[in-house]
Amino acid sequence: MAEEKEQTEASWEHLSLPDEFPEPYMEDRAGLNGEEGEGACVTRYQAVKCSPNLLQMLKAAESRRTAQGRDKDEAEAEASESGTGEPVIEALKTDMQIQFTDQKQEFDKRITKTARRSLSRSISHSSTDSLSSACSDSSEDESPPRDRLQKTSSGLSDFCIKNIKQAEFGRREIEIAQQEMPALMVLRKRVGDEKPLAGAKVVGCTHVTAQTAVLIETLSLLGAQCRWAACNIFSTQNAVAAALAEGGTSVFAWRGESEDDFWWCIDRCVAAETWQPNMILDDGGDLTHWIYKKYPSLFRKIKGVVEESVTGIYRLYQLSKAGRLCVPAMNVNDSVTKQKFDNLYCCKESILDGLKRTTDVMFGGKQLVVCGYGEVGKGCCAALKALGTVVHVTEVDPICALQACMDGFRVVKLSEVVRQVDMVITCTGNKNVVGREHLDRMKNGCIVCNMGHSSTEIDLASLRTAELRWERVRPQVDHVIWPDGKRIVLLAEGRLLNLSCSTVPSLVLSITATTQALALIELYSAPEGRYKQDVYLLPKKMDEFVASLHLPTFDAHLTELTEEQAKYLGISKHGPFKQNYYR
Amino acid sequence: MSDPAGEAKLEVKQASKEVKESENVAEKYSAMTVSKNSEMNMGELSSAFSAVPTHKPVKKQIQFVEDKQEFSRFPTKAGRRSLSRSISQSSTDSYSSAASYTDSSDDETSPRDKTQVNSKGSSDFCVKNIKQAEFGRREIEIAEQDMSALISLRKRAQSEKPLAGAKIVGCTHITAQTAVLIETLVALGAQCRWTACNIYSTQNEVAAALSEIGVAVFAWKGESEDDFWWCIDRCVNTEGWQPNMILDDGGDLTHWMYKKYPNVFKKIRGIVEESVTGVHRLYQLSKAGKLCVPAMNVNDSVTKQKFDNLYCCRESILDGLKRTTDVMFGGKQVVVCGYGEVGKGCCAALKALGAIVYVTEIDPICALQGCMDGFRVVKLNEVIRQVDVIITCTGNKNVVTRDQLDRMKNGSIVCNMGHSNTEIDVASLRTPELTWERVRSQVDHVIWPDGKRVILLAEGRLLNLSCSTVPTFVLSITATTQALALIELYNAPEGRYKQDVYLLPKKMDEYVASLHLATFDAHLTELSDEQAKYLGLNKNGPFKPNYYRY
Repeated sequence: MAEEKEQTEASWEHLSLPDEFPEPYMEDRAGLNGEEGEGACVTRYQAVKCSPNLLQMLKAAESRRTAQGRDKDEAEAEASESGTGEPVIEALKTDMQIQFTDQKQEFDKRITKTARRSLSRSISHSSTDSLSSACSDSSEDESPPRDRLQKTSSGLSDFCIKNIKQAEFGRREIEIAQQEMPALMVLRKRVGDEKPLAGAKVVGCTHVTAQTAVLIETLSLLGAQCRWAACNIFSTQNAVAAALAEGGTSVFAWRGESEDDFWWCIDRCVAAETWQPNMILDDGGDLTHWIYKKYPSLFRKIKGVVEESVTGIYRLYQLSKAGRLCVPAMNVNDSVTKQKFDNLYCCKESILDGLKRTTDVMFGGKQLVVCGYGEVGKGCCAALKALGTVVHVTEVDPICALQACMDGFRVVKLSEVVRQVDMVITCTGNKNVVGREHLDRMKNGCIVCNMGHSSTEIDLASLRTAELRWERVRPQVDHVIWPDGKRIVLLAEGRLLNLSCSTVPSLVLSITATTQALALIELYSAPEGRYKQDVYLLPKKMDEFVASLHLPTFDAHLTELTEEQAKYLGISKHGPFKQNYYR
Repeated sequence: MSDPAGEAKLEVKQASKEVKESENVAEKYSAMTVSKNSEMNMGELSSAFSAVPTHKPVKKQIQFVEDKQEFSRFPTKAGRRSLSRSISQSSTDSYSSAASYTDSSDDETSPRDKTQVNSKGSSDFCVKNIKQAEFGRREIEIAEQDMSALISLRKRAQSEKPLAGAKIVGCTHITAQTAVLIETLVALGAQCRWTACNIYSTQNEVAAALSEIGVAVFAWKGESEDDFWWCIDRCVNTEGWQPNMILDDGGDLTHWMYKKYPNVFKKIRGIVEESVTGVHRLYQLSKAGKLCVPAMNVNDSVTKQKFDNLYCCRESILDGLKRTTDVMFGGKQVVVCGYGEVGKGCCAALKALGAIVYVTEIDPICALQGCMDGFRVVKLNEVIRQVDVIITCTGNKNVVTRDQLDRMKNGSIVCNMGHSNTEIDVASLRTPELTWERVRSQVDHVIWPDGKRVILLAEGRLLNLSCSTVPTFVLSITATTQALALIELYNAPEGRYKQDVYLLPKKMDEYVASLHLATFDAHLTELSDEQAKYLGLNKNGPFKPNYYRY
């Protein structure tokens, strides 16, 4: 999830450079970033980008192949090698389907239902269909949403989505999400009567998914008026957008926007007649950027910006440094709960899931090396150790290295163990951690995957050479074959494994959404002068509140301090309980 | 012990406990592991402490114990372990064998009245018996084995002599581990004068060995309070020698110098303080604007915090419980009060042995962490009837009350891993209807009128310091950090440090950690230039922003 931010970063770069503008179906943006070699092919396919899915899929798959320096014949030859010709088509389809899934997983943090899990593991023929049921855009792609006039049942038309008729289906999606986001539901109940956001006019730019919908509707119930755009051109769940529009929120978003559409949507969000936003909820900083550029006068009325992503935060800090930030901003990304959940807990769960799904590997007794022992590395190591693997760790920071030692992991250099390990997992946030020289020395069947920062950690470019053969054996699984027959199993082409090949638990999304909601409330209802024109972290007390809202999920019962104990500790009975520097 | 209401009733008990206390203290503060005739040891002990008047000193003693436990993390050696596991009748004695055999027969005269000369003819020290130097040297050599970080620091920095010209006055526990630190400082060019920060913790033979090589040490085991301040004074107040650095543990030395020799501070370049109390005092001084030199807070460095709390407790909780009660953990229901670093360590260790662990917590963030780590977060009252073991580590007071103790089941164990002895309301158990029965050293059965027994460990004091060892490795981390802090303060260019309390720079923290990696044969990966540039970091650290939570 933290990584997802990185991708947003990547995405923004893309969006600002129309030439590189990607095909509407393929890959996550981060992936694109790391696969510049494909760029040329990609642009070629832009011509047909609005064609129906199947065509896109084929093209996409093809483009990848071409990018890998193979021509069709070779591909077919391979296919016949590995079986009959027919499954190739199937495989390609599956491939594409899975990519849709990926996009969802990566950008929407959409919860995959358990049912889908088994499906995605099923054999290739059937998986296509079952997966496509998750995509709601069926046959009426003909006219772009911008040209169509749609109306909700109550007659409103201040929105722009794919198809308002999908509202009912989207509503069900939202209801499912509600089940998994108890904290927001509790928040609705707890503060519902007070309407702490009464009068707030929130303009938002996030992924438009069922989870976000729960957030948006929570904000509405707390008294806010919302206008929403998507922060990613692929991540929108059309049905959910329809349901939101039907519910009266002005949503401007659909899956597969062009870049022009993207900025048009944002502009429509902001530049409404008779409606001026006074709060911004942003993910990636595009919306903030747009308002700064086009409507700077709006900032006079704006009480604050809530920003979720690493990129967005970085931009805000830059603005602040330059003295150009003219409203208070809240950094939601670095809250304790979010950080721990995005990294430690989320990765602890998804590493096993991702590896199992893609390779069906058995872990017991396997030797593996985890590069990096930060939060992500700690999570991965803990999970893997629990399954009985022999875990080695590489680290650059001596403090983290010492932690690894104390936790019972051998700290080594990658080159020392690369010959003997069965799996290499990178999570350093660095680039070229696994280089060609390492890959050359790995043993046959070694699995290489990345849990860290976008797709830079494994030096993929070095594998795109003529002597190595690539063979796609499953969606997200490539065999790279050396001339001597050695095979390396590369997962998700070096992109984030947990977002490409496994699910993100909804609890993680719930934490983020709750934090955002509280940050909005805090900024909106803070007395004049509490927040200056600077970037703030969420107050510790809010962090604690977010955590406490999630405790009922675990049926956890918090102990309360007695007056005497609180006095003894010198803290308030109701928190904050720790100093800011508490680690 | 400090409940006035129960005092009369328990006078007899108390009297006997006094001896016990002495044993504990002796046991705790001597790292010696010489098995001797136990009776003789008893004799030694009583003679060692016979000079102490009856009642008040006990309190004092206990307080010192706590001080120690909280602030000084004193080591005990692994060797003692086998002894302490012996059966209950003899366990007391075997514990007492840990008492330093060096204070044997010449207790008659106070060290203050004796004139001693080391082999080089110097007499600028005051220890129990300089003749024990050779034995103390062996102790130091053993400690050196476990403190490879300091040894490698000596090697790396010896040619530079980064402390050349430094005159360090120190007030810490005088143990083999400290000796390694002191000798490292000397090897790096410093002159040292040293005194003890605790009246019981000195290892006499180590003090002798230090004196023998020319470090002016003023310390012996069993000082009176008057002796204590006399030693500090002798350390600071010498002709022809003015300190320019202070290494303090507890803040007593700093305090004394502020009161008596404020002039000395003109020459002082900095204070390095290790303990919570001392740091607290420094912050108070700083707030009041009365701090006139830079001070370094070693206590809150990442490495030290993690080792003192998480790792140390993870190891010692099992050790402490096993030693005292021989309990089996598999399938036992345990409730751990508090899920901070200490609680996290305890829970991890207990879970690994198959115990069913419950957690109580007041902070929702920590509670959520508890949930995610797979522990049930409950209120103590909800599980009190069913649990077999209660472990407190909240840093709070009266977490386990009489009311809860009343409801515990027969044979359940109550102990404390947290802040001093406030967490369990022991005072409430000192009532006439309850019978106390000491079944082992550090183990009391408290018996209810209906026959129910609750097993109270270490009378609610810190279990891991009372009943188990502290790994030397933990001390090594602290000592290395102290040495680096001294070097940093001494060599810092004018103006880098103002009159304030500082945390050790992250880079130093990282250096401490890197010095300890060799112990694990751990090989640190180095960033390539390209990677460092990509990350926007220096190749040699610091690697993380200050707010990183590790």
